[in-house]
Amino acid sequence: MKYAYFPGCKIPHHLPEYGASVEAVCETLGVGLVKLEFNCCGWPVRHENELASIYSAVRNFALAEEAGLPIFTPCKCCFGNLKYAASRLEEDGKLFVLVDRLLAQDGLSMPKSMKVSHLLTVLDEHVGVEFIELHAVTPLAGVKVACHYGCHALRPSNVTGFDDPLAPTVFERIMQSIGAETVDWDLRLECCGYPLRGRDNVISEALMRKKLEDAASAGADVIATACTYCQLQFDRERDALPFRDSLRKAPPSVLVSQLVGIAMGLDSSVLGMDKNLIPWHGPGF
Amino acid sequence: MDFFDIGLTLALIICTIGVVWRVSRWFGKWGGEATHPPFDSPVLSWYLLVARGVWTFFLDVVLLARTGRTSRLRWLAHCLVLYGFMGLLLFHAMDETITANVFSAYEPTLDPWQFLRNLFGAMTLVGLALMTWRRVTLRKLRAMTLFQDWAAILIVAAIIVSGFLLEASKIISPAVFDRMVYEYLVPEDGSDVTALKVYWADEYGLVVSERIPTNQAVLEKGALLNEESCVDCHSDTSSAFASRPLSKAFGPLTSALNTSRADEAFWYFHLIFCFIALAAFPFGKFFHPFSTPVNMVSRLGRRDGAAVSQPAELPRGLGMDACTRCGECSLHCSVAPSFSVLGNPNILPSEKLVSLRQFQTEKSLSGHPLDAFAEGSRICTECLRCTDICPSGINLHDLWTSSRTRLSEQVLDPNDVIRQKTASHWSRFFDEADGGSAILPPVAGLADNSQSYWACVQCTTCTSVCPVVAVSEDPSRDLDLTPQQIMNLLRMGLKDQTLGARMVWSCTTCYKCQEHCPQNIRVADVLYELRNTVAARLRDTKKTNCGNGETK
Repeated sequence: MKYAYFPGCKIPHHLPEYGASVEAVCETLGVGLVKLEFNCCGWPVRHENELASIYSAVRNFALAEEAGLPIFTPCKCCFGNLKYAASRLEEDGKLFVLVDRLLAQDGLSMPKSMKVSHLLTVLDEHVGVEFIELHAVTPLAGVKVACHYGCHALRPSNVTGFDDPLAPTVFERIMQSIGAETVDWDLRLECCGYPLRGRDNVISEALMRKKLEDAASAGADVIATACTYCQLQFDRERDALPFRDSLRKAPPSVLVSQLVGIAMGLDSSVLGMDKNLIPWHGPGF
Repeated sequence: MDFFDIGLTLALIICTIGVVWRVSRWFGKWGGEATHPPFDSPVLSWYLLVARGVWTFFLDVVLLARTGRTSRLRWLAHCLVLYGFMGLLLFHAMDETITANVFSAYEPTLDPWQFLRNLFGAMTLVGLALMTWRRVTLRKLRAMTLFQDWAAILIVAAIIVSGFLLEASKIISPAVFDRMVYEYLVPEDGSDVTALKVYWADEYGLVVSERIPTNQAVLEKGALLNEESCVDCHSDTSSAFASRPLSKAFGPLTSALNTSRADEAFWYFHLIFCFIALAAFPFGKFFHPFSTPVNMVSRLGRRDGAAVSQPAELPRGLGMDACTRCGECSLHCSVAPSFSVLGNPNILPSEKLVSLRQFQTEKSLSGHPLDAFAEGSRICTECLRCTDICPSGINLHDLWTSSRTRLSEQVLDPNDVIRQKTASHWSRFFDEADGGSAILPPVAGLADNSQSYWACVQCTTCTSVCPVVAVSEDPSRDLDLTPQQIMNLLRMGLKDQTLGARMVWSCTTCYKCQEHCPQNIRVADVLYELRNTVAARLRDTKKTNCGNGETK
């Protein structure tokens, strides 16, 4: 099974450990990732101009179709915006014509199908939890994981088609397959707050604080993320808080690919565990 | 002082002053802080630094390895121009200082020099032709090409072409022949000169207008004289494989060129172009043959955005000066599709760098160009690709991030603009301003269509599930309006009253409102659209205000 790998803009510089761990895990599990030169998914510019956002997204589908591969992304915001663009083109003929013209100017043609899968879906449906379980040589027994779903893959569900928007289970299934224990927590499906960074930092931090405190009170050892922006919020932005802030004591945030990688017995330096600014001193490393 | 001395002196003065001015700008102060401590790069000892510097020079400067990473055609073109032009500069232009001292028997008219001059010149011309072809055929690159890009190609081409024309016009010229005869031949009688002329007309491409005898005996005598007096200093012009065919191509113009002493005119042209190039060296991209190697060596071959592990911080101005305007960064830019839609060249790194220079070192950016620069800076997603691909090894990432803070203080983004005033102020402002955007294509149009809210029963579900509303103690104080109030205003057609509401701008885009709405109203999409509308209308207002005629 082969995909066109879409890391998104933030991984190369801002979160290289996500890229490194995703590639390592995919190699171990036999998921082929082909690197194409994609452009931005269009999500960051959606606040300013929808056409720029949608054209950016569709251009990526056109590139993937030229390579004959579906898109694979570890970022939920990239996933959400790619899905959104595909659904907008379907409902809006005028937009379709505009985007088609822009593509033609670039020597590309409108893609016939727009397929994108998120890392969690690939692990769950294409790799399969039984397969992961078989390969979990050092299962995370006894580790309590709070799965953080992230908004843009989950909602709006009629656009993203990711999982049940009110009671999703895919993340927990994967965590259980590597032997971890998953906790139920009230704010499981709430926003991390990163999309407000730079626009309203006060509310952004308030959302993060509420969420992390809830995960702590639910008894989680770690928060598992599967999105570049969520991890930037719970790790990088949290680390920018004052030294004595109690939020530093809340469960550290670890990427899903890092957790799966540890269970696969991959080296923690390959998974970039030392790059997490709020470190997790878990079992076995 | 003759023409040559005056011209050279003037050009050198301009060049020297320019270089001093340009280099002094490298060390200008930057407002921004250092972006990243080089945490992943150990401090190297001085001999390792030197070794890495030498290695980088060999790999990136001599072999143009970084250029090779972008495209084979670019690499070939650049190699041809680099080696060809450097060959001409060192062994032809500076022959009295270099070639004559290294090779004792040097004469410019002897082989291999005569041949090499043609080879280097031809290499340069072919390289320039490839560069031109690339700039013309690559649509995106053509759009980015500025006057200075063509000027650089044209000046160098003019030097080479005028050089070939000079050599070709000397080959055919009897006047030049007569001068050489006067200097080097001691004729026993008048028939010697004629015999040599016959031989040179037959073998060396000389074109004479008077009738000359061309029998075998005269030719043989000419050959003998040539052997005695000429060959030690002058090779057969056929080794000038470009100039000699060019001299034949003059065709019917030949005698006119000879009588008008075209060789002297071409000599002036050739020198004038050389002086122009020398004087232009410190300006624009003409400077890159100096600044780019310096930048690459001081970056020690690093391609990432992290600061180099060296004792002193690299002057940021050096990076800006190292740009060759090759356009590779913009061809690979992640947000280039946004440029296709918004049409602001500042979205592309190579063009943003031009603005950054004006902003940073010349402090001459204001009004609409400053707004455009700020928009370009804002839309960049810091994906690092430009820094990675840059054939000049410029730490672009550092340039962007270090200027961003100061820029965002000077030019506010739509979000900051809106937050400066109250919602009621914006309600009046947008009500009075012309509606709609003349430039930007319409966004989804949900907010303007009252049918979008037809089904809204004001059940307040959107407000009660909103996490932003939930973290606020007093939503009407912190957010002006709640989501359900915004929907209510919109269905009454009062869009202008919603545009400045902080709820619109503090939406975290989690889509819970939309997911939970029992009537399937696209609440979050509408809020996106309202932000788009404000961004477009502020953009228009700014353009109208500075009156640069871009708006209708």
